Amino acid sequence: MMRSEKLANSCGKYLSQLMDNDSAIIVLDGDLADSNGAIYVQEKYENRFIMCGIAEQCMVSMAAGFAVEGYTPWVFSFASFLCYRAYDQIRVSVAQCNANVKLVGSHAGGFTGRNGKTHSAINDIAMMSSIPNMRIYSPASPEDTEWAVGEMNKHDGPAYIRLPREAMSSGTWKLGSWTWITKRTSVAIVTTGLALKIANQVREQFKNLFDEEIGIINTVAIHPVPQDLIEELNNFVDYVIVIEDHLTSHGLAALLKCHQLKCKIDQFGWPIDYMADSGDYEDILKHSELNPEKITTHIKNRYAFNDNYLAR
Amino acid sequence: MSFNLEEITHDAARLRKEIVKALHTTGGGHYGGALSVLDLLITLYKGVANIYPEEPNHPMRDRIILSKGHACIAQYCILADLGFFDVSELAKYGSFNSFLEGHPDMNKTPGIDFSSGSLGQGLSVGIGMAMALKNKPVHTWVIMGDGECQEGQVWESVMLADRYKLNNLTAIVDNNNYQELGWAQNSEGIEKAPIPRISEKFASFGWNVMEIDGHDFNIIHKALNKAKEFKYGSTAIICNTVKGKGYELFENDPIRFHCGELTELEYVLLNN
Repeated sequence: MMRSEKLANSCGKYLSQLMDNDSAIIVLDGDLADSNGAIYVQEKYENRFIMCGIAEQCMVSMAAGFAVEGYTPWVFSFASFLCYRAYDQIRVSVAQCNANVKLVGSHAGGFTGRNGKTHSAINDIAMMSSIPNMRIYSPASPEDTEWAVGEMNKHDGPAYIRLPREAMSSGTWKLGSWTWITKRTSVAIVTTGLALKIANQVREQFKNLFDEEIGIINTVAIHPVPQDLIEELNNFVDYVIVIEDHLTSHGLAALLKCHQLKCKIDQFGWPIDYMADSGDYEDILKHSELNPEKITTHIKNRYAFNDNYLAR
Repeated sequence: MSFNLEEITHDAARLRKEIVKALHTTGGGHYGGALSVLDLLITLYKGVANIYPEEPNHPMRDRIILSKGHACIAQYCILADLGFFDVSELAKYGSFNSFLEGHPDMNKTPGIDFSSGSLGQGLSVGIGMAMALKNKPVHTWVIMGDGECQEGQVWESVMLADRYKLNNLTAIVDNNNYQELGWAQNSEGIEKAPIPRISEKFASFGWNVMEIDGHDFNIIHKALNKAKEFKYGSTAIICNTVKGKGYELFENDPIRFHCGELTELEYVLLNN
């Protein structure tokens, strides 16, 4: 069934289903349950939902206490308040202890509506990928989200899921840590989360303007980077274009570059000094570095006609 | 655990020497805080808490979190004395490849229930544990420093524990009146204590509060047992202690010996 919904809601709903058969799961919330999806758990399992108040540092360390006693605590807040306000607690109480704590960051990325810069999280991947034991998931559809939540729950150790504020639509692609959502091409966009929307627009424009096929790889398990994704890129792709709703310098592209990639890699995301703005999705998109027209032009100028990459 | 005043007095005196020896052997460290926390910690371990040295992760053990992790040499000496690991390990404290890390590591050291070192997190962890264990006859003890209580997270936790009325959680504050540098040397007009009126602060957040002499074994023993008996709410035991307790050299220079080194001569004199 085609769905379009906020992925935080997909997360909360699916987690409440998992709780039917997994008594170890509990949910901790930092007073944002009606915005971050945890409300579905609160409604169904009130006695397994702990309101921690507006105190993220305490909440994250508490979760670690629950984890060492055999529970699987899922901690919900906005990505910004988890990853930044409680960074040391995630680093020390969770990651360094390898505590089985799951972190759900809603409102991740630079599109946080009228909330603006304080509520955006455009370097959360950088923060979470630079501490030990952490896994990062970044789904692009309700189905992706359910897959990621299932994986996180199966894994015994820390994990973080970043979820955009914007609603995302159902995908028809095969679920997994990464997948081609188009046919395989030698010039490929590698994207994650909300940026899949933008990638699709770039792909369409290329097709219309230049009659060129650019394929898209959707990556859900972004840290550690899946080894078979690296192999796939090395075996079949000449030119990788990363599009991500994150700082270009420290996100998915940077994680890919940590590996021995043979192909050229180019990246589009937020510039290092960007602080995020208030505004509706389309307005921010139009005026940002993630504007699909801009990206299309960049790609065309840099590669299509210079070294005939796309004409091969 | 059975409490024997004579035995615990003797043990504490012996372990004071162990602490100083271990720290001096490994190049110095937190003499002041380790010696101030020792008496309350040894009374907890040897006189009150349910522990199982032969099975460090026994599910029915009391949980003990040394949130002021920099004083861990005191905890290590007690754990070794109780048989959690061999006493010879103490000489390697903080060295590369030793399982006795410079700050407590639950994944390396038998008997450590939670890691610490970054101040202010232990009480929140304790809330999680106390909530998780609420239907079991298990008590969660969190030992904090008075300086540590300057961390905002501590008061997030104090507030939350009161809301959930966790009577299986006790905070023990090693109130030694000093921190690394703090305001102790400031002139008049500035409060010197790390947390002035600390008992009033805990009480105003709804906690049961006892303020005691943190070096009187009988009183500590009584207070710890009383904390377990409260039916309603969490308890804070403010233990007034002396930083560097037991050695004039340390007691008279708490700032140098918050974390410091002894000269060879000082070490020899200290042991004579």
